[in-house]
Amino acid sequence: MMLDAESVANLGVQWAWLAPAICAFAFFAIVVFSRFLPKQIALLSPLAILASFGVFWYVLNEFLSSGGGIFSVDWFTVGGTTFTLGIMIDPLSVVMLGLVTFVALMVQVYSLGYMKDQEGSFSWYFAAHSLFAAAMLTLVLADNFLLMYIAWELVGACSYLLIGFWYHKRSAAEAAKKAFITTRIGDVGLLIGILLLFNETGTFDISTIIHIAENGGIGSGTLTAAVLLIFLGAMGKSAQFPLHVWLPDAMEGPTPVSALIHAATMVVAGVFLVARAFPLFFMSDTAMLVVAVIGLVTALITAAMALVMTDLKRVLAYSTISHLGFMMLALGSFGFTAAIFHLVAHAFAKSLLFLGAGSIAHGTGGKRDIREMGGLWRRMPVTSISFGIGLLALGGIPPLSGFFSKDEILVAVLDGRGSLFFIMTLIAAFMSALYMARLLFLVVLGNLKTENDHSHESPLVMTVPLVVLAVLALGAGLLAPGLIPGYDGFGNWLYFKEAEAYHINFLVMTLSVVLSLAGFGLGWAMYSRKSLSADRIRGRFAGLHRVLVNKYYIDDLYQFGIDRAVLAFARFMALFDRIVVNDTGVNGLGRSVFLSGWRLRYLETGKVYNYALGMAVGVVAVALIWLLLLPYA
Amino acid sequence: MSLIHFQILSAALFSIGIYGVLARRNAVLILLALELMLNAVNINLIAFAAYGELAQAATGQVIAIFVITVAAAEVGLAMAIILRLFRDRSSVDVYDVDVMKW
Repeated sequence: MMLDAESVANLGVQWAWLAPAICAFAFFAIVVFSRFLPKQIALLSPLAILASFGVFWYVLNEFLSSGGGIFSVDWFTVGGTTFTLGIMIDPLSVVMLGLVTFVALMVQVYSLGYMKDQEGSFSWYFAAHSLFAAAMLTLVLADNFLLMYIAWELVGACSYLLIGFWYHKRSAAEAAKKAFITTRIGDVGLLIGILLLFNETGTFDISTIIHIAENGGIGSGTLTAAVLLIFLGAMGKSAQFPLHVWLPDAMEGPTPVSALIHAATMVVAGVFLVARAFPLFFMSDTAMLVVAVIGLVTALITAAMALVMTDLKRVLAYSTISHLGFMMLALGSFGFTAAIFHLVAHAFAKSLLFLGAGSIAHGTGGKRDIREMGGLWRRMPVTSISFGIGLLALGGIPPLSGFFSKDEILVAVLDGRGSLFFIMTLIAAFMSALYMARLLFLVVLGNLKTENDHSHESPLVMTVPLVVLAVLALGAGLLAPGLIPGYDGFGNWLYFKEAEAYHINFLVMTLSVVLSLAGFGLGWAMYSRKSLSADRIRGRFAGLHRVLVNKYYIDDLYQFGIDRAVLAFARFMALFDRIVVNDTGVNGLGRSVFLSGWRLRYLETGKVYNYALGMAVGVVAVALIWLLLLPYA
Repeated sequence: MSLIHFQILSAALFSIGIYGVLARRNAVLILLALELMLNAVNINLIAFAAYGELAQAATGQVIAIFVITVAAAEVGLAMAIILRLFRDRSSVDVYDVDVMKW
């Protein structure tokens, strides 16, 4: 997977930096000209991302014909260390480049319709989108950890700006703050991890670090610590347990933002980071196990939460976290290809679902509670069908994309981690199918409620991206096996160490299909035919239901910790600052100087003879002291 | 005549000078007393130059001439100040001059 730095960089590699640069330019242009053309200038953002998408095709074309490589220039020199700024083109970054530019393009086109009548600054929304695209593209293209970290932070800042887009709404401002602070906890780990590696190797360059590590240049303890710290950063960005609390709250942002940033691109940055540093993780069994366990725990507990949430966007948010957990689990189970493939398939399907949720809210007058929906296919056919495709895809129904990717993950888990992990993964996959079925039968199918009678289909600018994404959610899975001549399947293209053919494990496939169908069947029985009463089940497991609805009390635990420990400590520090530092230290010093001056000024008589006497006495005193001390000198 | 005699003379002159500076109220007389002290130092320097261990180096003489030069300049400056003082308040009594305070 990794390429050596010596290979000659082709034109695609040399010009790939244009993709983020165009978006960054669009950001500045929109910010500067938004005063003169508040609406029209925003169009620059979709145009820029379209151009970046074009750059992707060029890079892909060059990559397929003459391979990838690294293109870097010297950035600055400190002491004897030169820092470089560079682009790395390999299958992973090409896939991410295409994914980010494409989903961003779809979401921005959709936003043109969705944000038209929303409050808030239209051009600022698109400016932030452009900045986000620039940062995200830099992140996936970076060939060194330093540049990647800068982009990583910038992505977080854009996420903050966009979650808090409606900043006058208190909950949105709070959610933005929560997201930023929670991910920062991880980012600190990432920074320390990167610096640890820098301390060991003297470089930030990813391929050099991997090269050194593979030749035993980094002690195994240090390496484990470094990759675990890097994984902490990935946990923050990819909302892994126990840092997952910010993602559901991030749904306070505009829905297209949730689709782009909190489903398809930014949250997979953590998965991407682990994949980018995968050779380092691979060298530490402990780190791999931690990644797998965290991924599994996240996938399980958040899938359970998605079952009980009633807010459409929150169900999707927990589903996102759960699927990110699947990706981490796959990485931790040595399933590099499976993880990245699921990343792609999930990105299409989940951005589709979020955009569909936005379209539903648009058509029904801002409804988000799934209990108030139902039968929407009668009024919004295009939205409903594409939304349904997204649900089926992530629910794992063959032959949609989610089926293939989930299957790959299950095979990887069974091979890499054994049956215990496998069974847990199956449970999570079953829950995933069940909550998707719940959405399908409660939102799309069923009877139309009278208050939704006037709901209407969204305009073309919103439905076209939905349809395009739906086609991809339907068909992307076919990329996994090599069906066309000349294309040997995803695993032959993007892999770690050795190419893997698309393998079919019939036992796994059968189990996965049966569980998915069982999930949808159970959902049908519970929410459509109502032969199993959801209320009765809820009553039977009232305690469990309460725990799930309250998000395992994790948020409350954090709030308690913040109130009791952090704020108490802060209050103590504030008091210390006021009394000791400020009143005693700074003001006390000033006041003592002032008072002593007030008293001592009477020594200054202004009379010459007083001064002369003082001088004479002083000279005599000095002479006497000198005389007395002379014997000892 | 030996070194000690010169030193006694010098000490006496210096003491008279200090007394003059501290006890006189007339600024001109204080200046004169200051000159006495400077000359006491000069005598000391010359005496050490003549009798001391470094007699050949002529260091004492050089410094003495230096002191005389500085004293001349200082007298010029001080006289100018005293003159301004007299024009300003028709008095050279230092008891009347106490404006150099806070």
